[in-house]
Amino acid sequence: MQILMQLIVSGISVGMIYGVIAFGYQLTFSTSKTLNFGQGEALMLGALVGLTTINFLIGQQIGTFWAYVIMLPVVLAFGALQGSVVEWLGVRPAMRAKSEAGWIMATIALGIIFKNLAENIWGRDALKFPSPLPEASLSFGGIRIQPMEIVVVVGAIALMLGVEFFNRRSIYGKAVVATSNDRDAAGLMGINTNRIITFSYALSSMSAAFAGVLVAPVTLTGATMGAVLGLKAFAVAIIGGLSSGMGVVIGGLILGITETLTGYYISTGYKDVPGLVLLLIVLSLKPSGLFGKAAIKKV
Amino acid sequence: MKIKFAWLLAASMFTAPVLAADSIKIGLSGPFTGGSSSMGVSMRDGVKLAVSEINAAGGVMGRPLEVVERDDEAKNELGVQIAQELINKENVVATVGYINTGVALASQRFYQEAEIPVFNNVATGSIVTKQFAGADFKANYIFRNAANDTIQSAMIAEEAVKRQNFKKPAILADASNYGQLGKTDLTNALSKLGVTPVATEKFNVGDTDMTAQLLRAKEAGADVILTYAIGPELAQIANGMAKLGWKVPMIGSWTLSMASFIDTAGPNGDGAMMPQTFIQQPTTPKRKAFIEAYQKAYNIDRIPSPVSAAQGYDSIYLLAAAINQAKSTEGRAIREALENLGTKVEGVVTTYDHPFTATDHEAISDNIPVFGLVKNGRVGPAHPEDLEGDKALRIKPKA
Repeated sequence: MQILMQLIVSGISVGMIYGVIAFGYQLTFSTSKTLNFGQGEALMLGALVGLTTINFLIGQQIGTFWAYVIMLPVVLAFGALQGSVVEWLGVRPAMRAKSEAGWIMATIALGIIFKNLAENIWGRDALKFPSPLPEASLSFGGIRIQPMEIVVVVGAIALMLGVEFFNRRSIYGKAVVATSNDRDAAGLMGINTNRIITFSYALSSMSAAFAGVLVAPVTLTGATMGAVLGLKAFAVAIIGGLSSGMGVVIGGLILGITETLTGYYISTGYKDVPGLVLLLIVLSLKPSGLFGKAAIKKV
Repeated sequence: MKIKFAWLLAASMFTAPVLAADSIKIGLSGPFTGGSSSMGVSMRDGVKLAVSEINAAGGVMGRPLEVVERDDEAKNELGVQIAQELINKENVVATVGYINTGVALASQRFYQEAEIPVFNNVATGSIVTKQFAGADFKANYIFRNAANDTIQSAMIAEEAVKRQNFKKPAILADASNYGQLGKTDLTNALSKLGVTPVATEKFNVGDTDMTAQLLRAKEAGADVILTYAIGPELAQIANGMAKLGWKVPMIGSWTLSMASFIDTAGPNGDGAMMPQTFIQQPTTPKRKAFIEAYQKAYNIDRIPSPVSAAQGYDSIYLLAAAINQAKSTEGRAIREALENLGTKVEGVVTTYDHPFTATDHEAISDNIPVFGLVKNGRVGPAHPEDLEGDKALRIKPKA
């Protein structure tokens, strides 16, 4: 029982990360029906910018904890900027040309450019990210958790609640929701939908950058850290449904927990298989995802 | 600055042909960026240190050595490209290097065909020197002065089962060729001692959560963890054990001495043990001189990968001795000289006395490496008595 709980706890902290990145996919998909295939790279860039910032702050005799707190707004701002650049360079030209697939190639290309850029600036070694909290694990009735893992889960939930709250309560958020519901109608109502789409990209990369600095102290930081996470999150987005914010969180938890459970109860060699099988099952039975609304495309 | 550079370039264009005829070109291929770069860079710096010493003492046959270095990024396809460039364009007389077994295996065939010797000074895959051995080939141009995985896995099994009396080992290996071939070697070595591992677990390069693997090993009652993987994932294993509050000793291949393991595991990595051909301690006068020269040349205190640096350094002295003996830079003559080396070469790892024969291309025998132990961010000897007195210098027994 204790082992099962330990596995589920580890699965949740891994799954929450997948969930936050997938949440970023969902943000842009809802407004523009496009998504950033370089989401993993946005996470990686956020983590590396965070690493440089936190090391600079620690160098200024600021304690690790406060350095981490001060670093957060810097990383969030950087993420927002990076997302806007992706939208401006990769997505807007494709949408203007009414290209069905141009944005796919463009965002993948930008992702590769960002990765090469990071390799040149930060090198290709895995780097250690200073942990703002003690690294010794806490024990709850024999189940052991690192303090940073709790922060990952709480931080991920806080981010997603923050975005939901913004969408429901603020006038700008309502403009975002209106654009997701019907872009043309929103445009006729005087909403600048282009700006809303740029904004959703900024928000999406911001959440990825935030996820980056959340996981970095638990994992390691490096130019290649985004590739695997971005791909897993994509699977999560498909399992949960690209149109539902709640869905991607649950999708993330499902994938994270299945991975650790399979690793323990079946074989560590087949850890990644059930998640992908699940993906295939969902695609064949409910293509819009477990929590997605079926899209009716009117022609 | 730019103009100066252009002038230098123009000047070198005119002087280069004279220099090329004069100097002896040696190729150097290894990863100087990426996950295994700490080994690649240390190896390269060891090689360059040896070359500058030899050149300062008058070179080989009165001609200076010149290193043509290329970054293979640990990628097989890049290694192949570099091999072709070094052979056809640079006309090297021999190539030293290779950190990654896969890159070595993919690239060496071009040297074998061109009859140019390759000196593997770090890659450990058992098959590396056997790729072109046997009756099908007239001669084998692949040599090595690193402890191969057959030696390492036997040492790990011996240390765990015999010396430290562990009876329930768990093997944790990554899914790469290095990890999986090592896992097989380890399982075989253990079965020779009558021990079956209680768990054999696998993980991907880049995995960050080792909970499932470690819990399986723990529940199987493992009393020691044997590893075959590289730095970052090894660090995740050590950190994962600390997280689960479960501490058993870690014994594994020499990659447990990688800086990326030692630095990212921090105190959790203390106590990890691995076979080492060289430990950064002045146990012989030659080692003392080498460490001091290295520290002075590169202005550092801790050599990132001491084993790679020492083996890189030794490989050049062995090669220089062979060229001197052959009195020729022709590949076939160098190979024959290496196989019948008449002069004793005093290296950092050992003193090489007739290290190779026509059928044995391994300079390091199983009596040479000792166990290293991670403590406070450094690798020291696990059993200091192994390096005491005349045991400090371990020499390959005569065939």
